[in-house]
Amino acid sequence: MELSEYVQRGFQTLADPGSFDSNAFALLLRAAFQSLLDARADEAALDHPGLKHIDPVVLKHCHAAAATYILEAGKHRVDKSTLSTYLEDCKFDQDRIEIFCTEYQNNKNSLETLLGSIGRALPHVTDVSWRLEYQIKTNQLHKMYRPGYLVTLNVENSDSQSHPEIIFSCSMEQLQDLVGKLKDASKSLERATQL
Amino acid sequence: MLLDLSEEHKEHLAFLPQVDSAVVAEFGRIAVEFLRRGSNPKIYEGAARKLNVSSDTIQHGVEGLTYLLTESSKLMISELDFQDSVFVLGFPEELNRLLLQLYLDNRKEIRTILNELTPRLPSYHSLEWRLDVQLASRSLRQQIKPAVTLKLHLDQNGDHSTHLLQTDPATLLHLVQQLEQALEEMKTSHCRRVVRSIK
Repeated sequence: MELSEYVQRGFQTLADPGSFDSNAFALLLRAAFQSLLDARADEAALDHPGLKHIDPVVLKHCHAAAATYILEAGKHRVDKSTLSTYLEDCKFDQDRIEIFCTEYQNNKNSLETLLGSIGRALPHVTDVSWRLEYQIKTNQLHKMYRPGYLVTLNVENSDSQSHPEIIFSCSMEQLQDLVGKLKDASKSLERATQL
Repeated sequence: MLLDLSEEHKEHLAFLPQVDSAVVAEFGRIAVEFLRRGSNPKIYEGAARKLNVSSDTIQHGVEGLTYLLTESSKLMISELDFQDSVFVLGFPEELNRLLLQLYLDNRKEIRTILNELTPRLPSYHSLEWRLDVQLASRSLRQQIKPAVTLKLHLDQNGDHSTHLLQTDPATLLHLVQQLEQALEEMKTSHCRRVVRSIK
């Protein structure tokens, strides 16, 4: 894990009891996690009275450093010992290391979910609806007398918020073919997960 | 149900008894070929020269025959109704039998061709699938994220389109379940009753 000098300096300041007393440290840490994970968190996360006495520039620096480190740690899925080692190197005392690790452990799942959801993917199928009809006649052909299906696939695009639909018609045989192939795929999936 | 043949149509068909059965059979073959591939006026000229009549007469004869066959096929009229409809033209017995045979032989194919004229939505052609497991991304390492990639092939009016899609295992099972229900629906008593009563 490579961290820039900016981040390292910010972290060292955070470790220093002279710049951040225990209360301020805990507050800043919580603010860092909150601003990353809570979608509703607003800019005022750092506006807590317990942090008022600290120079805003320093506050922002340390907040950015903490947030950057948290993201890197989450990305690489670091374990507790790696975490502790790095914090020791930055001269954090044992209490602060404990607080950091606990906070990290509590938020680990949300963090990993968030990071996992970032990225490009193909349009994702979320649902299917179908309509069964019995075709009787058209102006070109009478006495048709056969069932037909209209299938709609609901699709979500990861980058845009659009929800396009894919609509197609098919006969009974074609639907059987489609279902057969989807069943093959799900059976393969089952077998693969059992290996 | 009898076919309603207009005077003009009857005039066009009046050419048929004037040539022998082999020619009428040939016209029938040409008529179906034109339905399959589109008409080719050069054929009319060749035939006109051979039979020593105008190419217009040939054209009308073939078109009349085509219309007779497509209308009968569209309405899916019975053998008896076809014979009765043709009877009014006053053709010799042998010609009537030939026309009936032409109808019965080509009916299925003509209906298939007519089916392609119905209002069309994109229709299912085929599906390809692939199982993937995402191991890592730029934002998160050491993942195990299974996904199913699908390539859906659709046809519309001869245009082929493909859609590349993805889904997760849970949704895949859901899709299978929903579509199986759709197939089952045709077997319910309600649907069977409807199918039985519409004839």
